[in-house]
Amino acid sequence: MSLYLFQILNGVGLGMIYFLISVGLTIIFGLLNFVNFAHGAFYLIGSYLCFTIVSLTGNFWLALAIAPLIVAALAFLTERTLIKRAYHLPHTYHILITLGIALIIQELTISIWGPIGKSVSVPDALQGVFQMGHFYYPKYRLFVIIFAAVIAFALWLLLERTRFGALVRAGSEDTETVSLLGTHIHKLFSITFALGVGLAGLAGVLAAPIRGVHPFVGVEVLGIAFVVVVIGGMGSFTGALVGGLIVGLVQSLMTTIWPQGSSLMIYGAMAFVILLRPYGLFGRG
Amino acid sequence: MMKQKKSSLFGGVTLAALVTIIVMPLLLPSATLATEILIFAMAALACNLLLGYTGLLSFGQGIFFGGGAYVASICMIHWQFGLLEALLIAMLTGALLAGLVGALSIRRKGIYFVMLTLSFSQMAYFIAYSLSDWTGGDNGLLDIPRPPLMLLGFEVSDLVSSEAFYAFVGVLFMLIFVFARRVIHSPFGTTLVAIRENENRASAVGFSTNHFKLLAFVISGGITGIAGALYAMLLNFAPLSNIELQMSESILIMTIIGGTGSLFGSILGAGSIVLLGDILSSVWPRWMILLGIALIGVVLFMPSGLWGGVGSVADRWREYRRRKASAAKSSEVN
Amino acid sequence: MNDYILETENLGLRYGAFAALGSVDLKIKRGSIHTVIGPNGAGKTTLFHCLTGERKPSSGSIQFAGHDVTHQAPHKRVAVGMSRSFQITSLFQNLSVRENLRLAAQGRDGLAALAFWYSENHRRQHSDKADEVIERIKLGAVADTYAGELSHGQQRVLEVGMALCSSPQMLLLDEPTSGMGVDDIPVMTQLISELGQDHTVMLIEHNMKLVMSISDRITVMHQGNILIEGEPEVVSGDERVKKAYLGESGS
Repeated sequence: MSLYLFQILNGVGLGMIYFLISVGLTIIFGLLNFVNFAHGAFYLIGSYLCFTIVSLTGNFWLALAIAPLIVAALAFLTERTLIKRAYHLPHTYHILITLGIALIIQELTISIWGPIGKSVSVPDALQGVFQMGHFYYPKYRLFVIIFAAVIAFALWLLLERTRFGALVRAGSEDTETVSLLGTHIHKLFSITFALGVGLAGLAGVLAAPIRGVHPFVGVEVLGIAFVVVVIGGMGSFTGALVGGLIVGLVQSLMTTIWPQGSSLMIYGAMAFVILLRPYGLFGRG
Repeated sequence: MMKQKKSSLFGGVTLAALVTIIVMPLLLPSATLATEILIFAMAALACNLLLGYTGLLSFGQGIFFGGGAYVASICMIHWQFGLLEALLIAMLTGALLAGLVGALSIRRKGIYFVMLTLSFSQMAYFIAYSLSDWTGGDNGLLDIPRPPLMLLGFEVSDLVSSEAFYAFVGVLFMLIFVFARRVIHSPFGTTLVAIRENENRASAVGFSTNHFKLLAFVISGGITGIAGALYAMLLNFAPLSNIELQMSESILIMTIIGGTGSLFGSILGAGSIVLLGDILSSVWPRWMILLGIALIGVVLFMPSGLWGGVGSVADRWREYRRRKASAAKSSEVN
Repeated sequence: MNDYILETENLGLRYGAFAALGSVDLKIKRGSIHTVIGPNGAGKTTLFHCLTGERKPSSGSIQFAGHDVTHQAPHKRVAVGMSRSFQITSLFQNLSVRENLRLAAQGRDGLAALAFWYSENHRRQHSDKADEVIERIKLGAVADTYAGELSHGQQRVLEVGMALCSSPQMLLLDEPTSGMGVDDIPVMTQLISELGQDHTVMLIEHNMKLVMSISDRITVMHQGNILIEGEPEVVSGDERVKKAYLGESGS
């Protein structure tokens, strides 16, 4: 029994990380109407920055605070210099440009940090396990769940209760309306892109002590984020949350049943959803 | 005011492809390198049928490439399949996989379609990875034979030398090239272009567009499967990277850099990238950065790729000559 | 043979509580030019979309020439003899006028066009059809021009021509004069009235001059239902019609 509880908690933790990645992808898609194929690559940068900051200073909290900001800043620059040139082009072009960016980032990452994976140690304060009766659970993983939930709530507030969020939501409905409102649409685009990508960077930092860092994980993360949005529906906060949790739980529970097939099952779940509901669980035809 | 060219199967571009195939091994340091170029040109050509002619950006080409390589290799290793049988089974595998991936992916359009193909590509990778008893997993599938070419019971060539294998791949490539030209200029191929141009209208004039997209996938997958099997025979080895997403990306990038919507462009794209890789990978292992930069550059500044680039340079040259001629004329008048 | 080529019965389309289409019984006579008019939001476009198969009606049925097409996909309606044009020009922009029309003719073949083993030139009938339509819509001078390079008026004409290529029994034209300049409208008026000689034509149109001059019958829609149907003279004199249109401009 406690084994299942353990795996369920693992699944929720993983699911929250997947949520952070996918919600960024989804917010960007909603407003800018393009899919960022470099999303996994930015996650990668987040992870590696975490590794570097932790190995230089030994302070994970510093990494948690700074790394996502650096990733967001890089994203901001990328949007300003490259991506904004492609807004008027068909969606194929957006994909190819962000694919090019992903390739460059991945290769640069290998140049800087080498092709071999690294591990990041759990911060001192969160070493060890949390005990409740006979049930033990690693403190760091519990922290990830709680921290990601707080971020999710803050993000929800940002989107639902602020002027910025209102603009993003309005823009998702109809980009022209927002530009009619006289808002500096380009500034809004850049900030949204930086925010969405920053969330991927944050996910990269949080995941680093659990899963380590590896240069090819960017591709894997991108694939998983796509599964989440295909299942949950693109452009929806709830979809990303539910989709993320489903994928995380499927993957985690499968590791007890068929460890080699756990990643495979995620994609199996996606194929299944596509067969039954081509527009995703929350999508409308 | 373009008049649509009524091109014959064996004219112009086909001739250019033939000349390229004959000249290539004379210019390149090794026949193996030339063979590799042809194999990837085949895969890029198949990708072009989807991207250039149907407007479908598929990240699934590696599935068909790797699938063809694995199944042909397994059949050769375990059941002593001959050369042509192995290629046939590779083609069928590629076509079948493409049928499956296509049927599921075309249920969605646009960006979702692209994401689905990418996800299926990841799925195929994990399948190949977990079936390590058959695929060799991370280590790849080793000791893949290259059977002799038998026709009507006679051994035409043992294909042991790299030149002989190149010749065989060259012939096969030309057959596929001519076949692809036939497809493009058939009622089916012209309908694919209609779907690329305006799917809504294509459906309104009576085409059941999903059937067309699916067949495009199947044909593309079949050709890519053959390319995968040839690659395994060339290396005597089928690495897991054959079926990785990176393979799909490479094939896509070759197609785009060469020029979408032009079959000869696929030869250019595959040729330039395989060569670049061959020259640079030993000196600079991270040469793929250049690929990323080239991809962005082509997309932003040269959307019709190298082939289109050649065309527009030729146009400018003609324009320049014309202007010069008319300038000379007017100065004569003065 | 039935006098009516197209009949709808209780055709309705609801989005939640809102009825975009209430309950429409529309009968279109074989060989007539039948126009549907009405103020904005009257349900003309919804009706049109149900007839072409773009929208699935939530109630009622559509009979066309002995076929129940209520739930048929758009491309299948072409095979039974329905053909449509678009309000917003929808062409193969980067292909020549002739190729646009040839492809449209090929569409009638349905799945037979999956043939990938012979050349498109092998069978002449589609090219012949394209040439015939080019003649008919008088775009011979620009036959080899890309569709995207035509003037707006020419594009609208080609838009109608595309629908002709499948040799349909019935043409459904969605605001054929949409966005056309005053000078081009007589061309379209002439074309549609000519087409009316050997086709049944159903159209949605805002240009009242065109509507009154060529229609055999007019159906006026209001708030998702048919308000009145009759010959042009009857409709133009009807008080309820005037009121419906006034109501629109008043609000």
